Amino acid sequence: MPVVELAAVTKAYQDKVAVNQLSFSIEPGQMFGLLGPNGSGKTSSIRMMIGITAPDSGAITLFDKPFQRTSLTRVGYLPEERGLYKKMKVLDQLIFMGTLRGLSTEEAQKRAIAWAKKLDIAQSILKKTEELSKGMQQKIQFISALIHEPELIIMDEPFSGLDPVNATLLQDTLLEMKDQGRTILFSTHRMDQVEKLCDSIALIHQGNLVLSGRVREIKSRYKRDRVHIEFTGDESFLGSAEIAEARNYSGHAEIRLKEDGDAQKLLAEAAAKATIYRFELVEPSLEEIFIQTVGGKVDA
Amino acid sequence: MRNVLLIAKREYMEQVKGRTFLITTILLPAVFAGVFYLSFLSGKHSGTGKHIAIACSDPDLGAAIRTQILSDADAKATVDLFPAEMPGMLMDSDHAKLVQEVDDKSIDGFLWVDVPANGQIEATYDAQTAGDFVTAERLQSALNHALLRQRLARSGVAASAMDALLKTVKVNTRQVKNGTEVTSNAVSSFYSAYIMALLLTMTTMIYGLNVGRSVIQEKTSRIFEVMLSTVKASDMLTGKLIGIGAVGMTQILIWVGAGAAFAGSALGAEYLSGNLQIHISIFQVVLFAVYFLLGYTLNSALFAGLGATLETEQELQQYSPLAALPVWLSFSMILLISTNPNSKWVVAASLFPPCTPIVMFLRMGSQMPPLWQIGASIALMLVAIWAVLWFSTRLYRVGILMYGKRATLPELMRWLRYS
Repeated sequence: MPVVELAAVTKAYQDKVAVNQLSFSIEPGQMFGLLGPNGSGKTSSIRMMIGITAPDSGAITLFDKPFQRTSLTRVGYLPEERGLYKKMKVLDQLIFMGTLRGLSTEEAQKRAIAWAKKLDIAQSILKKTEELSKGMQQKIQFISALIHEPELIIMDEPFSGLDPVNATLLQDTLLEMKDQGRTILFSTHRMDQVEKLCDSIALIHQGNLVLSGRVREIKSRYKRDRVHIEFTGDESFLGSAEIAEARNYSGHAEIRLKEDGDAQKLLAEAAAKATIYRFELVEPSLEEIFIQTVGGKVDA
Repeated sequence: MRNVLLIAKREYMEQVKGRTFLITTILLPAVFAGVFYLSFLSGKHSGTGKHIAIACSDPDLGAAIRTQILSDADAKATVDLFPAEMPGMLMDSDHAKLVQEVDDKSIDGFLWVDVPANGQIEATYDAQTAGDFVTAERLQSALNHALLRQRLARSGVAASAMDALLKTVKVNTRQVKNGTEVTSNAVSSFYSAYIMALLLTMTTMIYGLNVGRSVIQEKTSRIFEVMLSTVKASDMLTGKLIGIGAVGMTQILIWVGAGAAFAGSALGAEYLSGNLQIHISIFQVVLFAVYFLLGYTLNSALFAGLGATLETEQELQQYSPLAALPVWLSFSMILLISTNPNSKWVVAASLFPPCTPIVMFLRMGSQMPPLWQIGASIALMLVAIWAVLWFSTRLYRVGILMYGKRATLPELMRWLRYS
């Protein structure tokens, strides 16, 4: 039974259709990526999933039941527009968020302290939020979304604005949550992150679903027509008849072969003119698949 | 309901622990007490301590006027009898000399009393200040009193009988309540009601604006989206209104408690007597709580909706005259309310929801309004609150997620439709 299911969901604001007949489902324990450029309808879709806005048509199912607010105690949400009560002490804030999501004060306090120790902010737990650095505040926001140990974690652009240390920390935390069997959905316009982390994706563009399914299955649908070469010497082989498009970054070339291009012929031509350190036939990245699918008409 | 209470508790604790609460709790009554005591003192001391010269063509009358003024201990006046150049006659040179003295500020003013042979007395008070009507009143009273004594003496009334004849009588005020008469003090009753009306105005306005400010702060801190993933917008608004309203009630209770403790103390008994005596019934205290809650809910619902459409506290500040408008309207009618509390205009103003709390309390200073009017005013306020909440919750639901710019009127209309 899917944890989340969207069936032909549509949402329009005035004349602009933000989400159009969107359908996908997320299986338990999956890490799911909702992909698309800025303004593609990711946030609108997420807001409908957690009842901040209602769809104009279509159905949303959470935990195998039509959407109802009581289900939200099983959901942890980190919005793109993150906020905290600046005048509140960190511990009070986490207890408040925990109790709102059904925990007792004692339990919320216990978990807040445990998380603070884990994320190395225990020393700041009695300080007011406004006294903390942005990085610290980001950690508090994660804890606040996860304190009630939700079965479903929804994060809208969770990596945007994070410093590298916190980005890694969040990534590790999400993987840990996944290992615990929780279902995770996160939206991003950074497709490289999705390739690394997600089992399944839904790729949307201008409110429409462009691609969906397991990452491996999607990528396997596309021919391995990309070649990465590391070399020194004559680069004239980049004008080969086998090549449709090539980018050379000082000895590292990324090549797309023609429809009938032959990688072996290209290797022979390259080896004849230059010293080859690496020659790899790779599958297209999600970004390339996306651009190929929507015909390069990306607003972002 | 659990979440509403959790939100209310958070709002309450944040505000009660804040420095603003502590400062306003102490400062506001102190400022009030100071302002009232000052206005009381200024009323008591207006027109006192004047240095006046009396120029009268009838020296006896002049002396009698002087005696009369000096007999008024409250006036604390210094009165000189002006020696005319030609005794028994006032000349232009006398007048010029007195004008020069006023101009030199050696005297505050002079009373010029010309008594011609035909008995058509003319009196003028020339002074440095144009608006000193209190001194003018005192001088007029002294002149007429002295003239009366003089005329009575000329009619053969013995000086010993004169005091008895001219003895004034003070009119005491009593109020008829439910067919029985009760002693009342018009001044203290008015001041008591005035203080309560002002307190009600300040608290409902301050806490109404606080709700608007709190909405904007949450909007600025982007906390709404996190909150809305857990609680409904209407629960958030309800919790906020309850929490901040409870802060207001706490503050009022502290003031009432402190006031009662002061009134019960020996010091309070000494100060709060006569015109400063407090006249507040239990019924008025109950009504105060009721009108505070209604006035606060009306204002805060209005400012919650407004706050959701704005981006900064400065923008909200621009709208604060909106909350002050009913206050100005109510206090502009204060004379009519205190002298004629049952006139149709006053009744209409007291039934107009934004003005109800203030006008009702000002009316109570003169006379307790009929119960049906109190009931009707509460019912009308509830209807107004319902209407304002209807609009505000709709604006709130959409507005709290709109960032970046102040909403235009067409956008607000769309928000109302979205909800």
